Amino acid sequence: MPVVSFWDKRYNIKRNMKKILLIEDEELIIKLLGKKLAGVGYEVALAMDGLEGIEKMKKIVPDLVLLDIVMPRMGGFEVMAEMKKDSGLAKIPVIIISNSGQPLELEKAKRLGAVDWLVKTEFDPKEVVEKISKYINRAD
Amino acid sequence: MNQNLKIKISDVPRPLRPAVAAKDEVAISGIQKQGDIPRKNERKNDEFCELDEVRGQLEETRSVMEIRINAKTKELRDQAEDLEKQIKERTGELQKKIEESENSRMALMNMLEDMEDLRRRAEEEKEKTLAIITNFTDGLMLFDSVDRLALVNSQMGLFFGVGKEDAKRIIGKKIADFGEVVGFKPLVDLLGGDLTKIARKELFISEKAVFEVSLLEISGQRNKVGVLLIVHDISREKMVERMKTEFVSIAAHQLRTPISAIKWTLRMILDGDLGPITEEQREFLEKTYKSNERMINLINDLLNVTRIEEGRHLYNIVAADMTVLVQSLIVNYADIAKQKNLALDYEGPVEIIPQVKIDVEKMKLVVSNLIENALKYTPAGGKISVSIGQKDDGVLVTVRDTGMGISAEQTDRIFTKYFRASNAVRMETEGTGLGLFIAKNIVETHGGKIWFDSREGKGTVFCFTIPSAEADSILQ
Repeated sequence: MPVVSFWDKRYNIKRNMKKILLIEDEELIIKLLGKKLAGVGYEVALAMDGLEGIEKMKKIVPDLVLLDIVMPRMGGFEVMAEMKKDSGLAKIPVIIISNSGQPLELEKAKRLGAVDWLVKTEFDPKEVVEKISKYINRAD
Repeated sequence: MNQNLKIKISDVPRPLRPAVAAKDEVAISGIQKQGDIPRKNERKNDEFCELDEVRGQLEETRSVMEIRINAKTKELRDQAEDLEKQIKERTGELQKKIEESENSRMALMNMLEDMEDLRRRAEEEKEKTLAIITNFTDGLMLFDSVDRLALVNSQMGLFFGVGKEDAKRIIGKKIADFGEVVGFKPLVDLLGGDLTKIARKELFISEKAVFEVSLLEISGQRNKVGVLLIVHDISREKMVERMKTEFVSIAAHQLRTPISAIKWTLRMILDGDLGPITEEQREFLEKTYKSNERMINLINDLLNVTRIEEGRHLYNIVAADMTVLVQSLIVNYADIAKQKNLALDYEGPVEIIPQVKIDVEKMKLVVSNLIENALKYTPAGGKISVSIGQKDDGVLVTVRDTGMGISAEQTDRIFTKYFRASNAVRMETEGTGLGLFIAKNIVETHGGKIWFDSREGKGTVFCFTIPSAEADSILQ
């Protein structure tokens, strides 16, 4: 059952929709958040790990990245470090969504350019959407 | 002839008496045989009478004498018995005296033996004590009454990598002059070359060499005899502590992953994002959602405790206004108070209060914990008042309730980790017993104090102070 509108399914895209790239390895979270974001009018692209995330990012240049920290192959911090190296990606706002939230990690993320950090247990999808709208407008 | 017969029987020696009597018999019978001469016989009859009389007298005398003899014999026997008794008594006395002196001798011998034993034992004890000191698993340094090193054991050398010869070089010196033996430098630095501050401190050299250094004053009857410096290896405890903390931290993080997935799913179902649900389904799902939230809180508490134990729970220290922080929380809890039919009042400071340097998130945790406790343990119809004021040069926050209170015998355990008062458990089964422990640690790390006053069945008031930003707090 397609619960999210994948970037690849171009026929679904409206030109003025904001693009959000969700980089997250947990399937349930992907499905839930993807559905929520699509439901409120965002175009959502998905990546299951950091490497895939960077690849997709370069291809679609999203308006915002939702990024998990602990992932296989490439973690969230490395993704941010890669983004910093690429001038085309460096300015994209990144919101971290993680199960952790240690002060040291928060500091590191801030240093690497993340605009916000959400601990999954403290937020729900609705609040994630609210946070996102703080950084981008849903549609121009 | 009569004359011949008139002998006293007592004059005759006893063995001859029957012979005398027999001769009489013979004499008498001889006379009777000559009885054929009548004239002679008449005379003889007279003689017989006389003889009988004499014999009677003699018998009488004899019995009298016998009685006398018996009496005398008895008297003599009594005397002899008396004498014997006296001798016995005297002998007994003497015996007793001999025994007594023997006992004294034995006692003296024993005392001598005991003395010897004591001396030997004292010697042994001395040797033992010395053996204990030299072979003790703690490092020991004994300083005399003027703070000069009198004794150092080998363990001390092992801990600080100082050889025996080097360790001997500092004997008789004061701690400030230990510097020439490089290994002891961390120890000298820690104590500041001073033995007057009797204390217990932690000395971290490496992860495998963490020590607890204690200074103990040894006092005699009246004055100071010396100072004992004890270095105890706590590397293993520290490692276990670290592993425990890491374990809890990892477990808590691992638990968060599925729990957040559950939370998000439930929220989206409840928000209608996944299609319509019936009223009954909603009711169950709401309850499930609440249970899950409790689990999240529990994990958060556990994580907070591990952070406190790791000593890394304060990070974002900023200057802030306590009234803003408290007011925002009061607003957050207004709905819950209303639902529980409790009045939740706020009373601001009379004068402008100074700013405080705090980790805002952590301070929110303190105030929320106190307000949540008040909400939890105050029966419906009760009142909770939160106020802010100034105390000394700090900010004072007070949370007062009309709740069930804390029983007097449990007051000293109230800030202990995992402790829950028995009446609190009866009223509300849920709870980790970590809230006040966390609150106390956060307040104290900010250089503040937390305390409470309570009367069971009447209510409780919790207060805490945070030094003002101008005041020199430990955070700088």
